[in-house]
Amino acid sequence: MYAVRNIRLCTKDCLCLYVCPTGATDTETGQIDRNKCLSGCRVCADACPSHAISLVPESYPPQQEKKSPVVFKMRALSTSKVKQEQLFAQLEQSASSESARRLAKAMRRSCRLMAEDVLRESGYMLPQSENVQTLLENELEIVKDEAFPKDAAKRLIALLKQ
Amino acid sequence: MAKYVCPICGYTYDEALGRPEDGIAPGTSWQKLPEDWTCPLCGAPKSMFEGKNTPESKSATAASAVQPPEEPLRELSAGELAALCSNLAKGCEKQYHAEEAELFSQLAAYYEMQVPKHEAKDFSQILALIEEELRIDYPAAKEEAANNHDRGSLRALTWGEKVSRILVSLLGKFEKQGDSMLEGTNVYVCEICGFVYIGNEPPEICPVCKVPNLKISMIAKEAV
Repeated sequence: MYAVRNIRLCTKDCLCLYVCPTGATDTETGQIDRNKCLSGCRVCADACPSHAISLVPESYPPQQEKKSPVVFKMRALSTSKVKQEQLFAQLEQSASSESARRLAKAMRRSCRLMAEDVLRESGYMLPQSENVQTLLENELEIVKDEAFPKDAAKRLIALLKQ
Repeated sequence: MAKYVCPICGYTYDEALGRPEDGIAPGTSWQKLPEDWTCPLCGAPKSMFEGKNTPESKSATAASAVQPPEEPLRELSAGELAALCSNLAKGCEKQYHAEEAELFSQLAAYYEMQVPKHEAKDFSQILALIEEELRIDYPAAKEEAANNHDRGSLRALTWGEKVSRILVSLLGKFEKQGDSMLEGTNVYVCEICGFVYIGNEPPEICPVCKVPNLKISMIAKEAV
């Protein structure tokens, strides 16, 4: 477990700077230096008066198994939400009034968020999960398109395996 | 004196109490409330409210009437992959993995460009699609998730169903009122659940997912 800072909560009291035994909090990035942070130490988290520091795990437990009948029905919804997102995107482009454009934009974003949420709960919540690994590996193999960001996919596979 | 509950945010209209802050005197019956009255918290229309002691049975019957075909799962479409990757980018951000978040965003942007364009006619075409979902897909998925004790899916379905109902009610209103519905006021979207709100100020917390309004964004006006 290493320390991270929620910069929305941090009020720059800088007590972490005094209590950290390794100087991991002496950065100008707003974050704590993970390479210096001592796993499980947590003195900064306890000292912070604004509760801006917490500990996050190095690794996460395996994702809970999703039952295929549930995933099947969730996928009906991800399909339809993605379709609605596309339709709203087109109405946004072709809108003849400012009001119609704004409404289409809001609803396009809304449908995208619902699609994301349904997919997340269909077995893709944790980036480190096996499902995500398999998906990325498959895509690297199948997609022949030049424009596909291969390097990004490869780098992700390497990073997420850690 | 009866009570009526908003199915979106849980606000209860109590006839005995009325809503004096909006000029509705205590003792005002449900029937006396104007038909265009909307939920003071989330904007849901009066027609959506349910009497407090009415048992809710319609979703169960709708779900059991539909027999799902047992087909193998098809591959994820480009649009789904885009949404999947943008959501994983958010997941990485939450874990403070900035590099991974950026890489997933790159993938999302790629898939975004591969999405085939459906022919969009008008708002009522999409309204019909969402109504269909609310009639068939949501009840069926909720039943399946409940049977499998899948709390995560149930949570997402509950929020999605509520937000979809709000979209239906807003689209219905827009069909009737046209552009005047949005003139001189703002449109907000909850970045967590997708709740859409029309009003001058965003609600304190999202009526659907209850996130504080620092996560509720205003949609900027753009000239056409």
